Amino acid sequence: MSTLLNDVYIVLLMSFLAILLGIVCAFYLEEWLPKTNWIRRLIESLLSVLTGIPSLLYGIVAIRIFFTDAGALKAIRIFPIPQNAAAAPLHDDSMLLYAGAATFIVMVMPVTIKTTQDALRSVGTPIREVTYALGASQWQVLTRQVVPLALKQILAGGCRAMSRAFATTALLLGIYTWHYTSEPKEMSNRFILFLGMALFLSILSSTLTEMDNSSN
Amino acid sequence: MERKKDQSILRIRDLNIWYGDKQILSTLSFDVQQKQVTAFIGPTNCGKSTLVRCINRLSDFTPNFRSTGEIFFKGSPLDGSTDTTALRKQIGMVFRKPTLFRGSIYENVAYGARISGVHQSVHLDTIVEKNLHKTGLWGEVENILDETPEQLSTGQQQLLCIARALAVEPEVLIFDEPCGELDPIETVKIETLVRELKNDCTLIFATNKRRQAARVSDVAGFLYCGELVEFGATKKIFTNPQDDRTEQYVTGRLG
Repeated sequence: MSTLLNDVYIVLLMSFLAILLGIVCAFYLEEWLPKTNWIRRLIESLLSVLTGIPSLLYGIVAIRIFFTDAGALKAIRIFPIPQNAAAAPLHDDSMLLYAGAATFIVMVMPVTIKTTQDALRSVGTPIREVTYALGASQWQVLTRQVVPLALKQILAGGCRAMSRAFATTALLLGIYTWHYTSEPKEMSNRFILFLGMALFLSILSSTLTEMDNSSN
Repeated sequence: MERKKDQSILRIRDLNIWYGDKQILSTLSFDVQQKQVTAFIGPTNCGKSTLVRCINRLSDFTPNFRSTGEIFFKGSPLDGSTDTTALRKQIGMVFRKPTLFRGSIYENVAYGARISGVHQSVHLDTIVEKNLHKTGLWGEVENILDETPEQLSTGQQQLLCIARALAVEPEVLIFDEPCGELDPIETVKIETLVRELKNDCTLIFATNKRRQAARVSDVAGFLYCGELVEFGATKKIFTNPQDDRTEQYVTGRLG
């Protein structure tokens, strides 16, 4: 059971990092790069392509990249292998989680960037202009107006991205289990746990959106 | 004449503005004198807003914005190295649509002082009360300072916006069609206030209502298709215009 929760912790941590990175990227794109900057336009069109791809495809591509046909992990040593790897019965699975986490980042980041950008845009020009006209610096406009107004939407977007990632991971774990392993029970527990997380996060996200709508 | 020149707080010389390839303003030159109301009149889309936004450098946020020419504020030129934050503390602005911050009426007025680093509540109280008195709003909101400004009428909200801008103690205050969304009675209040405020600061007033400009301003400029057709004393513009287009506009045959 403890391995089970560890997995969730690792995924939570990784997606949290991915979301944080995504939010930072979104702030940079939306608030610092000028609208006419060609890098920004390029990144934005790439992002809409990435967010448009069904998340399951990411997972299938990831499986092709990270695993051999026999189901063994390819030797990509970008993630540290746990010290007691040899002793742990599920040592392949822990590698599986690292591989999953890497996929997470690719999957979660574009969605987070998009939703954060939308949230920042929803703050609107008038309120920014009014604040600037009072002599506020860009930092003050961001911290005192934009972030407080967009925070709930940003959090809701983060939760939605995480929920999407959890759901996809659950499906992939299912596929992986049924296709490659002979340990259906252990894996199906994990499958249910991940689906549960996905459900919880998606409800959290809707609640946040609803709170945001009612407060405006 | 020489005495007047000393009082000019804002000098604009050969100002050209483009959005992308489209020229919005062409070769504008004029002086704004201290403690006077300078109005800019002209039909919609003639570049009034573009002009006034250029003065407090809100134009920096417009994509594809390009300008040539010089703007001097109190003798020093505004260019890329200008500290726009400090500039905007000296040149305030009131917009067409009253946009208030979330939070109480008190917080809205105190906002400017807070971002300038005033945090003692005694000082903030004084600033809020003084500026609400100035705009004549104090009596109406005295008892609801801690409540949100949403319950106020549009006119009251606009007065609150003016109080908020005044709380930064600007030397120049720009009004960009401040009565665009208001009914006639509220408009009268704003106009009265504008005439009172010129004792404290220099006012720039953009409007597309010609009679309004005639009522509030000392000096007026007529903008037409990005060109400053005529600039001079309001009386002269409205009673004895030099340019045909100005005459047509003030008599209501143009625009």
